[in-house]
Amino acid sequence: MTMTRVHRKVREYDVFARKARVDPLRHVGRVVAPDDDLAQAYARATYDEERWVEMVIVPREAVITVTAPGEE
Amino acid sequence: MSKPVPGGVSDIVLSLADCKQLLGLRYAEWCSATPTLEADIAAAAMGLDDLGHSRVLAGCLSELGSDPRGPERETEPGAYRNVAFLDQPWTEWNQFVAANAILDTAFTVMIESLVEGPVEVLRTRLRKMLAEERYHFLHGRSWLNEIGPDPAVDQAWTEAVEWLGPEGGELRKRLAAKLERPEPKLSVDWSRWDPIRRRSRPGAIDGHTFDMLRGLEERRYGVTHAEATAGG
Repeated sequence: MTMTRVHRKVREYDVFARKARVDPLRHVGRVVAPDDDLAQAYARATYDEERWVEMVIVPREAVITVTAPGEE
Repeated sequence: MSKPVPGGVSDIVLSLADCKQLLGLRYAEWCSATPTLEADIAAAAMGLDDLGHSRVLAGCLSELGSDPRGPERETEPGAYRNVAFLDQPWTEWNQFVAANAILDTAFTVMIESLVEGPVEVLRTRLRKMLAEERYHFLHGRSWLNEIGPDPAVDQAWTEAVEWLGPEGGELRKRLAAKLERPEPKLSVDWSRWDPIRRRSRPGAIDGHTFDMLRGLEERRYGVTHAEATAGG
C-alpha cells in the first residue's frame, strides 16, 4: 500500500451545530483540512453524534477576537 | 405501485445496490489506512452510508415487479452486478480517490435521474441518499484535485461511462459537469458490454469479499454451537 503525501497547506476550522431550530449554535469541535469542501466532509463525518438540524464551519482565521480569557 | 415501471429499472437498481454494497466495503477497508486521521473517519462514515444505501435500494426491488436476484448469488461471485473497479481491494490511495470522486458521483447521477423519474417508490425512498452523497462528492472532488491526473482516475471514469450505459449520454454530461472537468478520452468497446452487469471487463469480486457478503467470514470468528454447548 503506497501512501500519498499529506496536504502541503491546511487550515483549521471551528465546527458549530444545533439539534433544534430554537437552540443556539454551539461549538462542537474543530477540523483541519486543505479546503472548504474537505472541511465540510470531515466535519460531517467526525461530529455525527447527534441528528443536527444545522451545522456550519468557520475558518479559524476568519474569527475576530473581541475579548479573550484573562482580559479585563 | 402507482405507475408502471419502465423495463430495465429493476436491473439498474440491483446493479446500483451491488455497486454501493461493494463500494461501502472497499471504503471500510481503508478506514485506518488513509493519509490522514480525518480521511480515516470520512472513509468509515461514507462506507456506512453506502452500505445503508445498498440496503434501501435492495428493499425497493420487491416493489418494482420481478426481483432479478436469483439463487446463483449464493454460489457465483460473477452474479454480483458491480463494476470491475470494485472486484478487488484497492492497493493504492489513488484508487480510493478515483472511486470516491468518479464512480460514487456516477452512481449519484443515476440516483438523481431515478428520483426525477416516474417510479414513485424510487422518487420517495432515494431522495435522502442525495443529501448524504453531497459529502461524498465534496470529499472525492477535493482529493481528486489533490492527486491530479492518475491512471486510476481514467480507469474509474471509463468504468463509470460503461456503467451509465451506451444510452447514458446525458448522464455522462452531468457527471463531467459535476466534476467540473471534461470527460477524458476514453476507449469503450460496447460490443463487449454486458447489459446486466453494466460492464465490459470480465471477472468478479474476490473470494474473501464474496465470503463476507454471504456472512461466511463472520462465522469464522463466531462461537460455534459445540463451543457454546461445552462452555455452558
